[in-house]
Amino acid sequence: MNEAMGEAPFLPGDGIAIGDDGRPRLTGSECADCGARVYPAVAVCHACMSENLRPLALSPVGTLYSWSVVHVAPKGWTTPYIAAYVDLPEGVRVFTHVVGTYAACLAIDMKMRLCTAVLGTGEDGKPMASYAFTPD
Amino acid sequence: MREVSVVGVGMVPFGKYRDKTLADIAWPAVKHAIQDAGVQKKDIEVAYCGTALGGMMSGQRILKSVGITGLPIVNVENACSSSSSAFRQAWIGVASGIYDVALVIGVEKLTKFGGGTLPLEKEDFEVTHGLVMPALYGMRAQRYMHDFGLAPDTLAKVAVKARAHGALNEDAQFRKPVTVEEVMAARAVAEPFTLLHCCPSGDGAAAAVICPTEMAARFTSKAPIRVLASEVNSGRYMTGFRDMTTPEITVRGAHEAYEIAGVGPEDLDVLEVHDAFTIAEILYYEALGLCARGDAARLIEDGDTSLGGRIPVNPSGGLLAKGHPIGATGVAQIVEVVRQLRGECRNRQVEGAKVALTHCTGGGISGFDHGACSIHIFAR
Ligand SMILES: [Zn+2]
Repeated sequence: MNEAMGEAPFLPGDGIAIGDDGRPRLTGSECADCGARVYPAVAVCHACMSENLRPLALSPVGTLYSWSVVHVAPKGWTTPYIAAYVDLPEGVRVFTHVVGTYAACLAIDMKMRLCTAVLGTGEDGKPMASYAFTPD
Repeated sequence: MREVSVVGVGMVPFGKYRDKTLADIAWPAVKHAIQDAGVQKKDIEVAYCGTALGGMMSGQRILKSVGITGLPIVNVENACSSSSSAFRQAWIGVASGIYDVALVIGVEKLTKFGGGTLPLEKEDFEVTHGLVMPALYGMRAQRYMHDFGLAPDTLAKVAVKARAHGALNEDAQFRKPVTVEEVMAARAVAEPFTLLHCCPSGDGAAAAVICPTEMAARFTSKAPIRVLASEVNSGRYMTGFRDMTTPEITVRGAHEAYEIAGVGPEDLDVLEVHDAFTIAEILYYEALGLCARGDAARLIEDGDTSLGGRIPVNPSGGLLAKGHPIGATGVAQIVEVVRQLRGECRNRQVEGAKVALTHCTGGGISGFDHGACSIHIFAR
């Protein structure tokens, strides 16, 4: 767990690992039979139905496809937040929050880097942490 | 397959019915549709009820209040396309010759969730990470504005048009016109959307009775409204870099529907499309072939899709003004175009309308443009 995150658990299914350099990485799946790639990780390949999947380490840097500043959200999320899609070089698009910047500083196709962040408070009252992206 | 026609329609004004049950919201729509069709209760051989969040046995709960029981009742869930999908099931039953007279209901009561954004499926990865429908459409809008140079005030004019139309519809949830300035100054929801760029949450119900065209005169002297195409699709799951400025499911469905109907977009006189958010209407102009890619703004700016324009879209006010009780929307769109094709719409009548299209799509699921889409084409 990242020090900055304290004891906040990551959301289930995130596939976040903190590397030796202290930086987070996301892991998806790659089909060993047909090469299809997905994030988050899955148990069966959507393309060929193979269950022969291996972990796919995703690049921590991608490009911003689009974003929206969300002011109205279900209970728990800290609003406003920036929802976005980031495209990774592996051909995978990831839904994410953008942190550490202002919406006015964002531009389509800009470079984004993976990080972690506390995004809200869970039903159990504990902070909800997950991956996020920030301008590179 | 036999040609099928709509012979009766009914709906209740969309709005907030906090104190009413789902059944109490819906039975007046059912009664109106049956009376409009001129059928007897005993003539109805099957009923399909579309609802996304109405809960188990919604159709049975509604139909027991008007004593239509003992027949096959099938409840259909397909998110925003629930009742348009139910309509297609009814169409299959009648066109195939299994049934002669079928009833379709669309119903929803969203006030039971207390307001805010639509509750989405919590097993979905993106939903668990904070995706809400306004943000999904907001991202489509931002990308479209970037790629095609759509101006914020043009986007706002979609809402202005919807409200102007809704002001003429006694069944609309919002009947007050708004200005571009009011749209742009409203409370922010998910940028670039303010509250007035988003369809309201609410309750409502709509119903339709269908039968083979050749049988219509037995029940009613009104013109039967023929179903030229009845189409439902699911989205294509994609993990890669989808183009969010073109809704593939609508593009694909429109091609199919036009081919089945033997008409093209140039033959349409009026449309009801799924304008859940302002950008949606822009995207659907292009996806349905009303204009080329990137040209949708001009239709709004030139008034082509306003009442009195070349090809009016959403004369009812659409989801933005009429409202969007999810499961009720598909049949409510059909109610509007049936009334348009019959010439019953008075101050919002599209003069001489002969061919109409309804388009209902939705369902926010990771990896899909939309989960479901249903397109119908009708003719007088
Ligand atoms: Zn595979």
